[in-house]
Amino acid sequence: MQLTTAPPKSGRLSELGFITLLLLPGLALLVCVVLYPLLRSLASAFFTESLVFPGVEWAGFQNIADVLADGFGELLLQTLIFTVGATLFPFLIGFALALVLNERFRGSRLLRGVFLIPWLLPGVVVSFLWMWIFDANYGVLNGLLLQSGVLDSPVPWLFQTDTARGALIIAKTWNSFPWIMVMLLAGLQTVPKELHEAAMVDGAGAVRRFLTVTWPHVRGVAGLVLLLEFIWNFQHFDTIFVLTGGGPAGTTATFATEVYDTAFKGFDLGHAGALGLLWMALLMILVVVYVRFSERGEKQNA
Amino acid sequence: MTGILTAKSASIDPTTVDPTPTRAAVAADPRRSDRRRGRPRWAIWLTLLVVGAFAFLPVYWLVVTSLTPNADVFAFPPRLFPTTITFEHYADVLANPAILGFLGNSIWVSAITAVLSVVVSMYMGYAFSKFRFRGRASLMYFVLSSQMFPQALLLVTLYVVFAQFGLLNTYQALVISFTTFTLPLCVWMLKGFFDALPDELIEAAKIDGAGHWRTLHSVILPLAAPGLVAAGLFAFVRGWNDFIFALTLAGPEKQTLPPGLVNTYIGEASTAWPELMAASLITSIPVCIAFIALQRFLVGGITAGAVKG
Repeated sequence: MQLTTAPPKSGRLSELGFITLLLLPGLALLVCVVLYPLLRSLASAFFTESLVFPGVEWAGFQNIADVLADGFGELLLQTLIFTVGATLFPFLIGFALALVLNERFRGSRLLRGVFLIPWLLPGVVVSFLWMWIFDANYGVLNGLLLQSGVLDSPVPWLFQTDTARGALIIAKTWNSFPWIMVMLLAGLQTVPKELHEAAMVDGAGAVRRFLTVTWPHVRGVAGLVLLLEFIWNFQHFDTIFVLTGGGPAGTTATFATEVYDTAFKGFDLGHAGALGLLWMALLMILVVVYVRFSERGEKQNA
Repeated sequence: MTGILTAKSASIDPTTVDPTPTRAAVAADPRRSDRRRGRPRWAIWLTLLVVGAFAFLPVYWLVVTSLTPNADVFAFPPRLFPTTITFEHYADVLANPAILGFLGNSIWVSAITAVLSVVVSMYMGYAFSKFRFRGRASLMYFVLSSQMFPQALLLVTLYVVFAQFGLLNTYQALVISFTTFTLPLCVWMLKGFFDALPDELIEAAKIDGAGHWRTLHSVILPLAAPGLVAAGLFAFVRGWNDFIFALTLAGPEKQTLPPGLVNTYIGEASTAWPELMAASLITSIPVCIAFIALQRFLVGGITAGAVKG
């Protein structure tokens, strides 16, 4: 029966049906596991809700006011310090290494692979390793510094307010510079060799060639890498949670650890949601600023 | 990825001159062509030395600690070059039933996540690659942007929802959430693979009378097999490495290695560091194997996931 009709019209319709079926499972998962939880978490900012007791009550802007009044500035500053530090240092190291490994010398290909090891290791393994290095009593860092006379007494790096942040940033830097190296290497591959040679003939030094030849080609990738690293670090959880848990005395707490603690240790979903709402709002501003910025850059390029 | 990169390389900087004659000039001048690249060699070696030390000394310490007898580990000063090597810590880890349980959970959860991610994302990737339909761009944008949302925030509601459906402390909770979080990258990887397959294949199958499903399953998917394997390995690693979701959604019995190791070894009292380092290396092995297999697709996959289109 179907064979005799063989219509192009129903063929078109079935193509749309086919596409719908293809997309359905994935979209269902994304809506149920990402979109709905996100919106519900944000909505809970306006309710009084507990993880352990039933019952939800309208709270208006009370949760947001509470969160803003209760050390929000400090939390934002701490998050920014971690985010900027954990973005900038890996970027500089990754960029330097990418420039070096972009050169051809014996073993440069092998090194590109080997340098990825810190990034390959599971996040928890990275945390364990640095926890052990920074260990106050038997850690290798204290051992070396004491032995060489730099320190007189061991320093509890992760449990001291003025060193914990730096220690976290070092651990995160170690973990993420290889990814930045890979991305920038990909960008550097697009720089035509002829341009470098031409600039060299014109007598441009290494710095000048970097600024006029290399940088314009990797600028786009570099901006993207910085934005993505910034966003990821702004939300980073694992290393901070395992290494310091937000301590000592809350100095390494960020939005991620604070939302987690508020929800799962304080059982206060309303305040966790309020924190999340402000967190997302800041993130959105950041993305919008970047998009504007890069659009302007594109126009200037054209 | 290629889109954005080639677009950039097309815009040549105005400060440069026509490359052809200058290349000839460089070749003609032997003094210059000797130092053709003109980079200071010492800067290269210094960078490699400093960054290499920063990158590899911790890895060295990880390996050495896992091989050092307990008596030497807690010695001062720390022994950078161990005099005795032992595999007892590996034996201890592998004899610990709790760790073996976490290991089993990790393998099971990651494997199911890999299979499910591939199935779901190959259909999505195929739709995005070979069909043009209304809302395609916005849907693709939605899929990509979903990896940008803070997971700590999603987790709060997921915990509540999974609790309502009785899914806490089950494998399902982990598999469902891991699969969803791998989707953006897997869809992008596979879309890339399908893009590389010529449309004529689909036309030919259609002319031969194959329906949509038959074309996809019998013609397209076998050709995209390397991509499916790559996406699967990627999803496996994602499940294997996760910490925060496994920590929160899985109870003590369903916990995977990362939270399992934290709960086992990071205590109030002194930590059994050599054993933890041995367990860490064991945990890292599957990731390294997957990486070696994935290497070819890796850069493309990372960059593609980051850049739209």
